[in-house]
Amino acid sequence: MPMDFSTFLTQINDALNAENGPNLAYLLRPTSPHGKDLLKSFRSPTASTLAHFKGSITSPWDEIAIQYVLICSHIARLRPGEAFKEQSQLVSLFFRFFIENRGWTLPALFSILRDLRDLAHDADWHAKVHNQNTECMVEAARTVAKAFSSCMTDRLSPPDESRKWGVYYVVGLAMKCYFKVKRISLTKNIIKVLDNSSDIPALEFYPRSHQVTYRYYLGMLSFLNEEYEKAEQELTLAFYHCHIQAHDNQARILAYLIPLRILKGHLPSDELMYRFPVLADIFSPFVAAIRAGDLAAYERALELREARLIELNLLLTLEKGRELCMRGLFRRVWLAADKGTRIPISMFHAALLISGMKDIEVEEAECLVANMVYKGFMRGYISHEKQMVVLAANNAFPRPAERPAPLASL
Amino acid sequence: MSDAWPPQLKEWVAKCLGQMTDINRTEAQAELRQVIADAFAAHTLWTTDWAGVQLRALLPKPPPQFNTTPNLKRKKSVIGFHHKPPENSPATKKVKKALKSSTSSPALDPNDRAALEQRAQRFQREHEIEREKSRVGGQAALKANHHTSHLFSGFNSRSASPSEDPDADPNVMDWDRYTIVGTSQEIFKDYLRLTTDPKPEQIRPYPILQQTLLELKKRFRERTPYNWICSQFKSLRQDLTVQRIKNEFTVQVYEIHGRIALECGDMVEYNQCQATLKTLYDLGLPGRVEEFTAYRILMLLHGRNRTELNILVGQLTPKQKADPAVQHALSVQRALAMGNYHALFGLYSSAPNMGAYIMDHFVARERARALVVITRAYKTIPLSFIHQELAFESLQQTHEFLTEHSAAYFTNATRPDAQKELDCKPALPQLTQVFETKYRKVLIKGAI
Repeated sequence: MPMDFSTFLTQINDALNAENGPNLAYLLRPTSPHGKDLLKSFRSPTASTLAHFKGSITSPWDEIAIQYVLICSHIARLRPGEAFKEQSQLVSLFFRFFIENRGWTLPALFSILRDLRDLAHDADWHAKVHNQNTECMVEAARTVAKAFSSCMTDRLSPPDESRKWGVYYVVGLAMKCYFKVKRISLTKNIIKVLDNSSDIPALEFYPRSHQVTYRYYLGMLSFLNEEYEKAEQELTLAFYHCHIQAHDNQARILAYLIPLRILKGHLPSDELMYRFPVLADIFSPFVAAIRAGDLAAYERALELREARLIELNLLLTLEKGRELCMRGLFRRVWLAADKGTRIPISMFHAALLISGMKDIEVEEAECLVANMVYKGFMRGYISHEKQMVVLAANNAFPRPAERPAPLASL
Repeated sequence: MSDAWPPQLKEWVAKCLGQMTDINRTEAQAELRQVIADAFAAHTLWTTDWAGVQLRALLPKPPPQFNTTPNLKRKKSVIGFHHKPPENSPATKKVKKALKSSTSSPALDPNDRAALEQRAQRFQREHEIEREKSRVGGQAALKANHHTSHLFSGFNSRSASPSEDPDADPNVMDWDRYTIVGTSQEIFKDYLRLTTDPKPEQIRPYPILQQTLLELKKRFRERTPYNWICSQFKSLRQDLTVQRIKNEFTVQVYEIHGRIALECGDMVEYNQCQATLKTLYDLGLPGRVEEFTAYRILMLLHGRNRTELNILVGQLTPKQKADPAVQHALSVQRALAMGNYHALFGLYSSAPNMGAYIMDHFVARERARALVVITRAYKTIPLSFIHQELAFESLQQTHEFLTEHSAAYFTNATRPDAQKELDCKPALPQLTQVFETKYRKVLIKGAI
């Protein structure tokens, strides 16, 4: 039987009385089947035509129900901008209810925030297509931040029913919004609040999906800040806790984890590349160049993949990977010198010239060798007067991963 | 106000608007504003034959003259007063282009005056034709413009007039309402932050401001103290903002002030100029975009702002990437990333435009870092090598730097500097420690 408005209200009422969060979420989702039904019963709903329903159930649910119909109507008429506005309004109304209640309401909160974000995305995209500029996602981010505060400041509920259990999910949504509008610096505030607060449960007690999302974003942010140790830590945790079947999520984590591991000295296995062809497409040429110690090939790979790397914010990081390539090249010089312990700088210089670094002077070659020694890729020292590199008798070229502090950077 | 305008004026304005192209729009609008303001002040609004008036900006212009001053070597003793002691700038190889002459001055040859007359006649005829056309269309065009609160203010901005915008903050000055044309004839004016409505007699109109810039350039060359020059530039910028003059001249002002600020080490002002220039360039105004893009890259390198740098590099257009100054800045970035101090200090010595002044700010840090690498890779190393590689000005300066960083250990301390050899083993831990304490954090005031 198709739903009509009074039945809708009754169901909401039932859900409220039973404290049935998931049901409430279902009722408020525009994509649910009753959305269409309700639209059929109203020809062209507006705030004014629906206003007479106010008072039929306790505030703010009467207004929320009205909002719901308006949202469904706008979506059906392909007006995402309007739908977004109404959804924002719905969320504000919901907040009034939310702060008076406990954690059972969280599924509903999650659902309406997700919808808010989706609508913001659609609205901005729709506006862009029509050559307008809207800032729905920015507004959505603000709303989500408000939700975050509401979650954090729950002093009355008993601990296992607290609204605080929504914190990490909401933070995840906030991160997605901020990254979308490229205001990454705004994430700092939220993280600071989380770090400083002592009255929310530890991350490990939250549902795994919330943990993975949060760690992923923490990893991403550390990565962008070149705090590579921390980034590797968070991303590794995220990756191993990620659901086995969440292939796309795994790929996203790996997109940042792989370069980190490369910088550390661990090249991805062929099997891993096979499992993630998208990543293989980006990273394989770099891996191959490093394995062969081929600087020219590495440069070519940087040029070819530049656009994609910039999109992913990986360009500057992979430029650093050049040093691993150079290590490979220098190691070949050492092999060509029969693994001798005294190798003239001119040999390294020649290798660099052959490898495609035209116009490089001997002094620059010497500087690059000095860097190799400093970074632990080569063990030994340089004699400047003799223009010679004196290498350690054993383990002159340690495995990159075995260096004392592989990810530390000056 | 437009009710007080004669219909011929309205038609003429509409026609002028129609004649404007992207190239001459900003100049023409400024001139239009000026002409009408003058007529209003002289009470000749109703008596002028507007159809016969010709805006200079709408005449075909000869191509602008750019003074291609050759690269000036960076002079050590340029502005003595507020310039940091130039210990970090090797006198030999620096280049600087402090004040590129910028205003194009199409000085009309008297012989051309006849040709000009002829052209003016031709335009007169075209006025007639246009007037017929715009009689129908012009009224509509004017009406459309009435939506903006002020005929002059709507062109470059999209801000709503205060009556339409319910969120207008009463504390924020709404420039639309106060766009005025100044009347002050004073060339120089000290800077005072505006706290009330600007009064026209305190604001200098556009032609005066153009003279002001010329005078300021002269004064700078004559080594007037930076504080005064800075104050003058700030008031010049203020007058431009208040009168909403956003054109090539504005760009020039900000570029010149930016360069002067760089030379005098005023990073706060420089950052302001850079930020404004970015918005002006984004509006499509021409200027030395590549030069200042290179500066932005170098500033981000100085501030170690990796995220922003990533984003900026990603947004570079092919034209920008091909420019030598931008390429230089990108090479600096690459050298920094690789720890390639040899290349870095080579680039420091050959920095184009004013880039070296920005690099000045991180040269000490990079020298310290380079020394850490060097003392790790060598057992002993001549002081002269450090002097050359790290582009110090003299052996003495090199020695002083080592002392400041607690690293002046020599195997042969009794010998003269030219023969000294640094003893790397004891120096290394000192350098590492000093680097941590001195250079880990970077603070910039007013940074983007």
